[in-house]
Amino acid sequence: MHQEQITQLIKEEYAFFLQQRSGWSLTAGPQDLELVAHALRVLLHARTTPDFLADYLALVDCQHADGGWSPFSADHESTVWVSAFCGLMLIRGNRLLGHERLARAVHRAIDYFLATQRPDGRWVDPRWADLDTTSHPVSFFNVVIALGESYRRSDVQRAWEQGVRFILDHQSPDGGWYDNDFHPSGVEITAHLIQDALIADLVMENRVRGVREACAKGAAKLYALQAADGSWDGENVDHTMDCTRSLMIVTRVLGDEHGREVITRGLQWLIDVKNPHGWGDFPGMETNLERTCDGLDTLLKYQAYCSADPLAVVRLWGYVP
Amino acid sequence: MCPEHASAHWVLACRLEDLPPGGRILVTIDTTEVALFNLNGVVYAINNRCPHRGGPLIRGFLDAAGGIKCPLHGWRFDLRDGSSQRPARATTYPVKIQGEYLYVLLTTPALACRRE
Ligand code: FES
Repeated sequence: MHQEQITQLIKEEYAFFLQQRSGWSLTAGPQDLELVAHALRVLLHARTTPDFLADYLALVDCQHADGGWSPFSADHESTVWVSAFCGLMLIRGNRLLGHERLARAVHRAIDYFLATQRPDGRWVDPRWADLDTTSHPVSFFNVVIALGESYRRSDVQRAWEQGVRFILDHQSPDGGWYDNDFHPSGVEITAHLIQDALIADLVMENRVRGVREACAKGAAKLYALQAADGSWDGENVDHTMDCTRSLMIVTRVLGDEHGREVITRGLQWLIDVKNPHGWGDFPGMETNLERTCDGLDTLLKYQAYCSADPLAVVRLWGYVP
Repeated sequence: MCPEHASAHWVLACRLEDLPPGGRILVTIDTTEVALFNLNGVVYAINNRCPHRGGPLIRGFLDAAGGIKCPLHGWRFDLRDGSSQRPARATTYPVKIQGEYLYVLLTTPALACRRE
């Protein structure tokens, strides 16, 4: 796969993404916040965040008094998964924007996650498996800690550590994570958890034992589950993007070169099944904006993954200042 | 759509032989995608688009209790009535077999309602 091809695809898809701005920007009216968070991540990884301050401020405007967000911006009940995604975009965006309102919103988000954690370390959201839900505040706290945010630092560290332990305690002996109430294959959850747990370990300098081994096992599980055509989960575009991206960061941190072939196969499949503009949820399906944001994000991360600097992709993710 | 102006029609979906026991088929009627499943001789019809984020239920995972899990994030819906433990309900359609053909009952907005 040639870098020029990747660069050209990014250019085209980013132009399409901008054309669709009224579909994802809060400045155009109420939006699905999961989609908004996906879009803000594209801006971060395309390094265009400074041009979109109004979008970040609009995200602060729809934060609730408890510090969380709801799946739809006009709704009023906070839920964990989307709140973590929004909080993560705010703290990462504010590294570039340096805006006082965003900084305060991040503190309120920290309050929200500290208030909603269960005694056993998990976070709960009826829309998502508990393991997947838990990985998102852990990921948010990874960045909070990595960026040296001092607000309620000891509480954050304690909550973070309990969250990581909850994740590690629920890994199956085969290296995967599963939740029978949700997706049976465990592919998506495993992809999320290996990256979040490993980064947690990186940020906290090996304070929780066994993380690297657990994540290496999880990565091996994903290798084994990849189909011959490069996809995962029965040609699931979303899950193939999750696995491809996760393995980029995990194999970089673990120094596992075997992952390169797996990642390249996954990416090639994603390029092969894309629509003229954007991606659908499965090959042949119509383009949707959320998947298109994921696709663009995957390409941007691949560019960083191919950089000579082995930590470039980790840095792009916001984990290494 | 306002329910008092809605009208229901039996619409031809497919030939019965296209949906043997254990089979599944996706049909598009007008602009509505209907996923049909034959579970041990009983046919169920459900709107193909998951009410969570539009995942295609035709690619979902069936269970013995008559449920289907969406292939995207795994929300489970009861094929009989679309109910779920998640905060959404899928749309299901009554099915009838006439001769060699299978029909689903689709509710469409009445013309007067559409004009509003
Ligand atoms: S789209 Fe169906 S569970 Fe999310």
